[in-house]
Amino acid sequence: MPAFAYADAATPIRDDLAAAHRAYWDELARPGAWWSGVARVAIAQQVRAAWSCSLCAARKQALSPAMVEGEHEPAGALAAPVVDAIHRITTDASRLSKGWFDGVLAAGLDDASYVEMVGVVTSVVSIDAFHDALALPREPLPEPVPGAPSRLRPSTAVQGPAWVPWIPGDRAAGAEADLYPAASRTAHVYMALSLVPDAVRAMGRLSQAHYVGLALVASPGACEPGRALDRTQMELIAGRVSARNECFY
Amino acid sequence: MLLRASGETRGDTVDLQAVTDDEARSGVAHGEALTRFADAIVDADPDPIRAARERVAREMGEHAVVDAAAVAANFQRMVRIADATGIPLDKPVAIFSADLREDLGIDRFGAAANTPRVGPLLRLLGRLGQPLLRPIMRLYAREG
Repeated sequence: MPAFAYADAATPIRDDLAAAHRAYWDELARPGAWWSGVARVAIAQQVRAAWSCSLCAARKQALSPAMVEGEHEPAGALAAPVVDAIHRITTDASRLSKGWFDGVLAAGLDDASYVEMVGVVTSVVSIDAFHDALALPREPLPEPVPGAPSRLRPSTAVQGPAWVPWIPGDRAAGAEADLYPAASRTAHVYMALSLVPDAVRAMGRLSQAHYVGLALVASPGACEPGRALDRTQMELIAGRVSARNECFY
Repeated sequence: MLLRASGETRGDTVDLQAVTDDEARSGVAHGEALTRFADAIVDADPDPIRAARERVAREMGEHAVVDAAAVAANFQRMVRIADATGIPLDKPVAIFSADLREDLGIDRFGAAANTPRVGPLLRLLGRLGQPLLRPIMRLYAREG
């Protein structure tokens, strides 16, 4: 049976959702720009481990996460600072700070590897959240595909106001010309992962199936065809999820 | 801002307090069922998720359950991307949402530190420009 077959789902799942999830799982297993397939799947494993990590639970309850020291469980094959970053982004993202990010870089993770890791973490969180919401079993993680990362860093990336460098909307050209919706200004959240262009592309594909395509985001009232919710209902959910997560953006 | 603008596009008046206030009524069709489902998904507690999912199914049907789960899951991703990369609010959004953020208590969130404070003049401009929000968003969407 292919991944994300949803054959046992009590509620029929749209084909485009299944296809988007399957495409992401295929991409997850392959070498990325900065991580091997083995490492990308290991990152996904840590996302799942974070939800039952006792250190993360204790930190979540603490006034400041920095007040609680310890080691995450299980440590696995990834370096400790990487595991810590994965767990923090998964379970306590609203309390991340520039100082924390600088500490991650000082511990030896470069900015592009960090961005790719964020892309993997957030995609796995999202796909798992969809399954949990519908009481579907989480999809087994894919078998990693051997190979080396491409190590392609876009030459058009510059340091902007975010913690990480990005490709501004007016610099997305050449191999990155497809990165942003052609007919709209480029919102910061689209540019956030652009140091790893494939992470933006993956974000766009998942957004189109889960919500609306990036080209429609800034058009109030616009929806993908065949959806059971209108855009106002979608935005209410979006706002509520953002507020509940204490996300300022 | 997208919630307000999409409501206006449909001719609805949306109470944005419903984003942060459990007692507020959004004015959105089936809004309470959807917010309860969204809350349960964020809290990741299976029993409340089941109860909220069943309510959405009763009120809106099975396809709405799937779409609501998909939207909530999408924003479980997007909020983490924003928080993990330290992006500031886009400037027009920062200006036009300054009062709203204060009203809703969003300015107290930790990641507010990533966005420069909107000065009094720009804040006034944002306040005066509220009636122009929809046309401005339309321009924002269409102009490169």
